[in-house]
Amino acid sequence: MTVPPGAAGPAGGAPLLTVRGLRISSRLQGVDRVITTGSDFSLAPGETLGIVGESGSGKSLTARALIGLLPAGVHAEGEVEYRGRDILKLPERQLRQIRGSELAMIFQDPFTMLNPLMRCGAQIVELLRDERGRPLKRARARQEAARRLAEVGIADAAVADAYPFELSGGMRQRVGIAAAIARDPQVLIADEPSTALDVTTQREILARLREVQQTRGMGLILITHDLRVAFALCDRVLVLYAGSVLEVATAGAMEAEPLHPYTLGLLLSDPPVDRRLSHMAAIPGSVPSPDDVATSCAFAPRCEWRAEICTAATPPLAEVAPARWSACVRVDGIEPLMQEARSETMAARLDHEQEVALAQETGQDSAVVVTRDVEKVFGESGQSGRRVTALKGVSIEIGADEAVGLVGESGSGKSTLGRCLVGLETPTAGTIVVNGIDTSQTGRLSAADRRRLRRTVQMVFQDPYSTLNPVRTVGSTLGEALSAADGQIRDVRKAVGELLERVGLPVRYAERKPVALSGGERQRVAVARALAVRPRLIVCDEPVSALDVSVQAQILNLLAEVRREFGVSYLFITHDLAVVRQVAERVYVLCQGEVVEQGATGDVLDNPQDPYTRKLVDSIPSSDETWLAQADEAAQDSTAQAASTPQGA
Amino acid sequence: MTVITAPDTGVLVSPRKRGRRRPSLLILLSFLIVLLVVACALFGSLLAPFGANAQNLIVATQAPSAHHLLGTDDFGRDILSRIIVGARAAVIGPALIAVGALIVGNVLGLVAGYFGGRVDYFIMRLADLVWALPGLLIAIVVVGVIGGGYYVAVVVLVVLTFPIDARIVRGAVLQQRNMPYVEAAETLGIARSRIMLRHIWPNILPLVVANTFLNFAFSLVALSALSFLGLGVPLNTPDWGGMLSQNLSLIQGNAMACLAPAIALVLTAVSMNLIGDWSYERLSDRGRAR
Repeated sequence: MTVPPGAAGPAGGAPLLTVRGLRISSRLQGVDRVITTGSDFSLAPGETLGIVGESGSGKSLTARALIGLLPAGVHAEGEVEYRGRDILKLPERQLRQIRGSELAMIFQDPFTMLNPLMRCGAQIVELLRDERGRPLKRARARQEAARRLAEVGIADAAVADAYPFELSGGMRQRVGIAAAIARDPQVLIADEPSTALDVTTQREILARLREVQQTRGMGLILITHDLRVAFALCDRVLVLYAGSVLEVATAGAMEAEPLHPYTLGLLLSDPPVDRRLSHMAAIPGSVPSPDDVATSCAFAPRCEWRAEICTAATPPLAEVAPARWSACVRVDGIEPLMQEARSETMAARLDHEQEVALAQETGQDSAVVVTRDVEKVFGESGQSGRRVTALKGVSIEIGADEAVGLVGESGSGKSTLGRCLVGLETPTAGTIVVNGIDTSQTGRLSAADRRRLRRTVQMVFQDPYSTLNPVRTVGSTLGEALSAADGQIRDVRKAVGELLERVGLPVRYAERKPVALSGGERQRVAVARALAVRPRLIVCDEPVSALDVSVQAQILNLLAEVRREFGVSYLFITHDLAVVRQVAERVYVLCQGEVVEQGATGDVLDNPQDPYTRKLVDSIPSSDETWLAQADEAAQDSTAQAASTPQGA
Repeated sequence: MTVITAPDTGVLVSPRKRGRRRPSLLILLSFLIVLLVVACALFGSLLAPFGANAQNLIVATQAPSAHHLLGTDDFGRDILSRIIVGARAAVIGPALIAVGALIVGNVLGLVAGYFGGRVDYFIMRLADLVWALPGLLIAIVVVGVIGGGYYVAVVVLVVLTFPIDARIVRGAVLQQRNMPYVEAAETLGIARSRIMLRHIWPNILPLVVANTFLNFAFSLVALSALSFLGLGVPLNTPDWGGMLSQNLSLIQGNAMACLAPAIALVLTAVSMNLIGDWSYERLSDRGRAR
């Protein structure tokens, strides 16, 4: 039996939780599929372990296996040792005693984690018992609920009496944490606890988790897809890919020098927020299913340093340096090459002056889109309680051959503005001039003007899974778009083939249905569909936020290529400042329906003037020690805000 | 231009290991029954051992025998032959009703769901109105009072059935209409009728198909109920509902004379329901990542 990596944690004591050869597989309708191929790791008391992986890596099911909560049809082999007991072999009755009191878990979605019909306080104290094993008395329960809410930074006792729907997402997630740790567990497993939240809320939640973990000395396992988050919060990081553990190291060491090509690729394709790159490093391809890479290195199909030895057998996780484990068999040989790749990416960075100069070079020609004081109110007039003002007089301008960013949190109105530009929403007031035509009232446009609008502005949507019609082939979707632009088009097949090649997909993909495409490939088709009408502006509404980090960079590079070739302008709508920096020369910051700041991207992000922009910039995860420590100040004001204004979803 | 290619990782290309699920025995049996009924409807008079209306009073009201497998009725007509020939009335009417309701209901449902607003309000209130009527009673009154035969009953039942389709389709369209793929089609300037028929409709097809099978089963029972009351099908035409009522008095002499049409009715209706459910599950698998 191999020694699980990190048997001795920072606390030095015996590990709290030891996982040996954890192999998870599913059997659905008679078909076996491997989910993880056999992970070994351990967690020391008081340690924070990050499990980082993209979609399909098996990270969430690994977390569930640790607490014995695998869904039906999925089962685990191997050993999960907790205080001398093997969790995988315990009967359900004993597991239920351990869950919550010894091992606890919090989930990704704060909106469904809490029972909507129970008051928050009641959910927290539900399983608490007094000294004689009876449920708590009323007064005692109130007191306990208040005490535990205070622990997660909710000072307002009224929250205990609130129903979950009365609270914001961040508040709900905190109540969820309070409920999960109510019975003082030794280990807390957090599955993407901040992914569904806005960036500013994410920082608060992570800071709370860290604080609670440190004051209680709990072991914490953080499951995340975001390396930045893992480096900010964790002592040690484990990288999971297609069901295999590829690297384990302390956070600092991994960030300084990754010892597996995949970790390196992840690091390089994560866009930096402080600099614009001339070209992003992307890992080609997409995440394989564990079955397809069962007998080789899981990363081999996408690795640029692949050799015969990589595909001969599954490389074991080996200690390659003190306290560093890597599953790369070639790590010694390719180490200098990996460092070279890293310095190449550093060299691709533009300095501040170059970046700002970009903003001056572009957008000099006539404007493609000009909006003046656009307002949008949702809800029927007369029902004042139900009216929501999404946009409060927004004026923006997008020049020819210019990429403009529009950033803000959810509810800032950024998507609404984009939808107004393409005519999917009609503004309540204000004007939108597209290519010289006033399109603010789409319903009243003449047929010819409407056609001109369609051919000027196109859109790429966020969700790659619903952006394409599932019952139509890629070819028919693109062919239809081509015919919509040019009714006389002769050879549709050939034109579809050319479009597919332009976005880097093989021509034979025309015969496929969307289900046979990965998320990144679907997003490429969506870009091709927008390009079919040769538009002058493409509105990109969070086009990469649903994609894995390793694929995200491919799409960003594709958008840059497309722009170079066709000279289209972009309105790039995103919540991610690091992404917007790589794409846009100018940026507008939207807060609650108003533009609070605008200017060259480099200027705005490096030297934000508006407090809201500053808050956004500050909330980008960083491994800097002060990042989480300072979250408290930011948390204080927003807690007061959240408590005074109960929000809906 | 430098082409950024997404190389084939071989993940999504690898042959799906999942075999097509075979339908269960029950479904196979349902298909067999429906197939048999359809065959009888098409070639009934060729398959029947006796003429459906051939009377032979010498063998009136006989219990099942080797000669008359299901016995005879009080005119000496062969029950088996009448059941076989009667399949035509059992299939054609319900099929017309199901298809008629499908067309009317889908068009109205698509328009209501896609356009919304006043159009939606008007169509759905119309559907509510019809929905509120006691369906079978109206059919009895219309067919009984106005007279008119089988096809009047069919038209009346189409009118009474379409609200079900319209409501289901509208609900499904509402779900689809804000999906990015529909919005992308709108952004491209594709005609609305095309968006409704070529984009949205294929995506709700599983529901439509399943519901059409259910409508078939429902109409089969409703039409038989009418002919049980002596409405709709002309007296001499063999029809399961009619046989059931006419032969009720023979229950002592030849129980099969009224049991057999009842069993045929129930088996056909249940089979249709099961096939409807199965095809819904089968069709909604299509286009979904699994």
